[in-house]
This record gives sequence, C-alpha cells and structure tokens, in this order.
Amino acid sequence: MSDSTLVFPGMNVTFGSDYCNLRAQHESPQASLTRKPRPFLSSIMAFFGASSTSANVSSTAEKDVEVSDPPPDSISSLAFCPVADFLAVGSWDNNVRIYEVGANGQTQGKAMYGHQGPVLSVCWNKEGNKIISGGGDNAARLYDIQTGQAQQVAQHDAPVKVVKWLETPQGSILATSSWDKTVKYWDMRSANPVSTVQLPERCYTLDVSYPLLVVGTAERHVQIFNLTNPTTPYKTMMSPLKWQTRVISCFPTGTGFAMGSVEGRVAIQYVDEKDSQNNFSFKCHRRDQTATSKDQSLVFAVNDINFHPVHGTFSTCGSDGTINFWDKDSRTRLKTFDPCPGPVSSSAFNRTGTIFAYAVSYDWSKGHSGNTPGHPNKIMLHAVKDDEVKKRSQKR
Amino acid sequence: MVLAKHFKCGMCPRRLNTAGGLAVHIQQVHKLEPENLPRIENALPGRDGYEVEIFGMEGIPAPDVADYKRRKEIELGLTAGSITQPPPKRPKTENRPLSEDELRAQLEAHKALMGAHETPAPAPADTNQSAVYAATPQTYATPPTPVPPIPTPPVPMMPPGAPPAFPGMPPPPGFPMPPGFPPGMMPPFPPPPGMVPPFPPPGVTPPFLPPSMTPPVIPGSTPVPPSLSVTPTPILGQPIAPPPLSLPNPTLAQTNPDLKKKTMLKYSEPNFSPDEVRSRHPKYYVAKDTVTSAPGSKTDAALAQVASETGIFVPEEARGKKRARAEDFL
Repeated sequence: MSDSTLVFPGMNVTFGSDYCNLRAQHESPQASLTRKPRPFLSSIMAFFGASSTSANVSSTAEKDVEVSDPPPDSISSLAFCPVADFLAVGSWDNNVRIYEVGANGQTQGKAMYGHQGPVLSVCWNKEGNKIISGGGDNAARLYDIQTGQAQQVAQHDAPVKVVKWLETPQGSILATSSWDKTVKYWDMRSANPVSTVQLPERCYTLDVSYPLLVVGTAERHVQIFNLTNPTTPYKTMMSPLKWQTRVISCFPTGTGFAMGSVEGRVAIQYVDEKDSQNNFSFKCHRRDQTATSKDQSLVFAVNDINFHPVHGTFSTCGSDGTINFWDKDSRTRLKTFDPCPGPVSSSAFNRTGTIFAYAVSYDWSKGHSGNTPGHPNKIMLHAVKDDEVKKRSQKR
Repeated sequence: MVLAKHFKCGMCPRRLNTAGGLAVHIQQVHKLEPENLPRIENALPGRDGYEVEIFGMEGIPAPDVADYKRRKEIELGLTAGSITQPPPKRPKTENRPLSEDELRAQLEAHKALMGAHETPAPAPADTNQSAVYAATPQTYATPPTPVPPIPTPPVPMMPPGAPPAFPGMPPPPGFPMPPGFPPGMMPPFPPPPGMVPPFPPPGVTPPFLPPSMTPPVIPGSTPVPPSLSVTPTPILGQPIAPPPLSLPNPTLAQTNPDLKKKTMLKYSEPNFSPDEVRSRHPKYYVAKDTVTSAPGSKTDAALAQVASETGIFVPEEARGKKRARAEDFL
C-alpha cells in the first residue's frame, strides 16, 4: 500500500465549529494538497499488530477506543476508506462526518457535509478520494475530498437506502437503491441514470462483491444480479428466513451472501445450486428473559453483517447491543464482545481488517418512545486480534 | 450429585473432576514428575495451573467470586452490590388488634380526608363497597378489596402496614409508613382525592399527543379503539405532519409467522423496517417538495441552505427531545 496522496482540506476542524467557516477552509485546496509522509499508517500496524503476540492479556486491559466528537443523533452507517484509515459516518442528523483514525486509535474530525434529510448509507470510491452518501432527501451526494465540494449525483422518488460503489472491468459505476423500489446505476457524467432496475418491493439492503450483487427488499424478496448483466436479475428468490430482511452482506469471494433478519437469525446462502448443501442458518442476538432462565426468549434484530477483508470470517451486530465474530466454514463463533449499553446500529472493518468500528446508537427498534435523551450514541474502534478473525481448522 | 468432569487428561481419554485429581492421575498413571506436569489445556490465561482446587461450587477463590458477581451486576444493569448483599428485609410490622383509641383516631383521619364524600349511614357491606368506589373520582388499578362498613367503630381488622382498605386513605397518625420499601413498591396508597393522579385516567387522550403516537392506519388492520383515534392537535410551528406509512399494495401485507412458544420478537412490525418508521417521524421526515435540487447540479446553494437551516433545526431538535421526554412520562 503506497502512501495515499489524500490529504483532507480543512485540517483540525472540529465539528462544533461554524459550517461556513468549514466551507471557507475547503475553498483553499492549494494549501491542503501538500504531500506529507503519513507515518500513522505504519505505526497503526505496529499498534494493532502488537496485540496478537500478547495472548494472555485479559480482555479488560484493552478497551475499545471511543471516537471523539461523534454525531449528535443516531449513526446509520459506517464506511472505511479503501486506501487509508479514514472513517465516514452517516447520521440521522442529516450529516456525513469524516474522521481520521490515528496510530493509537485516536480520532480527529476532518470534514463534514450535509444532506437535506437523514443520511442512510455511505460508501467510498475505490481511489478513496470521494465519498458517496444516500439519504432521506431522496438523493445521493458525492463529496470530493480534494476540493471539499459536495454535489448531488443521483435522484430517487423515495429515500435512498443504500449506495454502493461498483468496480467492474468496464469501469466504475455507482449503484443506488431506494424505497421507491428501484436500483439505479449512475456513471456520474449525466444527470440521468445509466439504467434503472425495477425491484419487487422497497429495497432494505444491498451488497456487492464483484460479480455478485444482492438486493434484499420488503416482503422478504431477494434478487441476485450478475454484474456482467446488471439490469436483469440472475436469480429471484424468497428469503430463506421467515422474518423481515434487515441486512445482506456478500462473501468477499462473491460466491454467496449472508443475510440477517429481525428475528435474530443469520442465513448463509450460496448462489450456485451445487453449493446449496452448504446453506444453513443459525440463531444469534438473543437474550434470556431473566438472568436465571436460560430460555433465550428475547429475540433481537441483526442490524449489520460485515465480512473480514482478509480472512473471510464475518461479524454480526444486533439490536441487543452484542457483537460476534463468526466463521461460516467451521460454523463456529470466534469472538463475543462485552454487551454494549445500547443497540449496535452499524459496523465496519477497515481495509486491512485490523480495525473494527461499531456504532452504539438507537436503531428505532422500540419506536419513538425508545429514543430517550440519554441514549448512548457513540462510535467505538476495536483493535482486531488475529485469532479473533482467523478461520478455525475444521474439526471432525 | 453428578458433577461435570472438565479436566481432561492430555494423554488418555480420562476426564477428572478437579485440577488436583488430574495432577494425581498424571503422576500415578502416566508416571510424570510433579514438577513437569503439562499445563491444563483450554484453560483461561492464568488459570492453567493446578493450584486452585474447585470441586462443584466449593473452593472458588473469593476474589474470583467477587469479580464474577461484579461483572454480572454490570451485565444485568443492577446497582453495585445488589447480588452480593440480598435486598434488605421488610421491617417487622406489629400484627395485633387495634385499641379503641387508635381505631377512633384512624377513623377521624379518614373522615377528614374524605370530607364531603362521607357516607352518612352504615349500609350492608356489599352496597357500601360499591358506593365507596362510585364516590371516588378516579379509577384505580387496585383490585377491589372487600371494604368493611366505614363509620362503624370499632372495626376489628385492618392491621397497620397492610394494604389499605379504603382508597385514598393515608397512613393513620401514629402509624408511620413502614420504612424500607424498595422504590417502585412504594405507593400502595393511591393519592387521596383532590390530588392530581400521576397518570391520566384511561379513555382521556392527553392534549399534546404527538402525531407519531397515533397508530398508523393500515388498511385491513383492526380498527383502533375510539379513545385513541382522536386526531392530534397540530403543534405550533411544526411543519406538515408526515403521512403515515402505507403499503403500496395492502393485499400483500405481511404477517409474522408464529414464533416458538415463550419467545418475544423485539421488532415485530412485519411490513416496515425500523428505518422507514423512523423516517416518518416529524423530526426526520423530509417532504418531497422541499427537496428541489436537480441531480448533477452543484449544491452549494443547497449546502448553504442546510447551513442556514441548522439554526432552525436546533430548537426543533430540542423540542423533539422534550417531546420524547413527555412521551416517556406518559
């Protein structure tokens, strides 16, 4: 990984500051384009790598680091930059914030831009110099890190639930998916989409791992696309889970996907028919009614699933405030986090899989009345140890 | 007593109850010297030695027990020390028949409280009971305990500290409220008439019910009780109330399949995701015509608008929080 040329304009801006002030700094890109060596990239490896050698340090000794200056409202989405340790955070307060993650997990706010409605999804382009976000204002916006400018790049008839950057051999393209029951592909040169795909229902989740694109919608429809032919579904099916689809995440290999439902369950699904004997689902994110009973009768939604970019293992996080790491091949749980004080609404691995970021914030699972003023609202960074995410050898 | 044998010998399939047992087994069966015993496999870091001898639940080192209890307390959200120390016992209450004077004093206190509601003559117990209940202006959730006729001293029952027979009767003078009730169990005594009840009586909709609290009208759903279908009064300065979520095709409305017995789904709305429900909350709703910028256009104007709007949004957010609080209270 070479040093990125990516330097944010408006360094040392705190989010509390006046927005106009922030923009004024953005408009002087020359000053900010100076190349600087970035020692934090190597030192972050030193910091996060060191932990794997000391196996018998108790878990309480290494606390997860809290991101400073978090958004004032719930966090809807997290995305790490694919070339450096920058974290983009979308929030229900209508803004996207970009943080730099330093060597010891310390964070600093770098930039912020706004939507006209709640932000529901963020992603980065492959070069890591642009951020795309979709939100409740029915639009997707592109933020250019070098110029500090945001512009609208996509339009839907309903809130944009997911934005994803697709890298194909023919070039890169933006996919946006919305509650207006469409997926639209944009090349960002024209105001009109390259093509529009009609979905059977409102899109709830979408994920990509070239050449696989999977959309999960309301009423439990799942549509699988092969990106060599992105306009017609390769396969249409009903969810293997009996309850509302919450999240879908593709295997990094592109051979299948994991999906989570509101009923504390995750299904592992292969696309190819000949692998279908490997499909399975398992229960998770459940809690006992009382401390003494072992009935696991409180069933929470699975809010997010992320695959580890190196090892292919995955994380699930839930409305119950717990996070787990799993290995689908040996069908084992690799790690359990200490329960968080509130629902975990979103999570993300960084590009090397050494940092795991998760957002503890209200996910509306109890409706408006659950949104109490003192509800925790924070982003935590966990230094991932190798043995937490490495595949287990298959026993038996 | 059957105990789990957690200590597996590394050299043979034998499992043993305790670390000491395993040590003796390895020394005697496998003829290893006591000083080069293998570390215990699969143990937690620092627990792989043979020093601690735990049999069943006996012999757990005290610091570890304390640590475990502390962790459990944090996990369950209990106050510190509540597992370690059992809750304080209910103080002993005297259970004896009241004397004439005490009874008279109690009655006087009760009469003073009841004021105008006093029933003139002792009536048969059952009709009297209904009269008392009709006289109280509030409806209470307290089960109708049999009420003895009111003004007939001496009443031979009602020990102090017992749940009150008369709604609205405070502890009689000379009999202070028994201390030590945990909060939450505290008010066995409903407030006396004239005091504002902490909760509005059922059937009355509070005037500041936010629109989001009215159940969304889903076609085909069961009609809501009339007491809840009162249209919310619009709040001053609030933008247009977001339309309720509606299904594009109501005939395709989903229902959750039956859950296994005794399980409870935390998010049980089958037709809408939590994000959709949230996006229709007044705080987050964006009316379609308020978003005007065309795709591809530079949105500097839009950004400036957002910046200027933040000034407007701040009080609204504060209002939202206040409302949230009010709603929780309700």
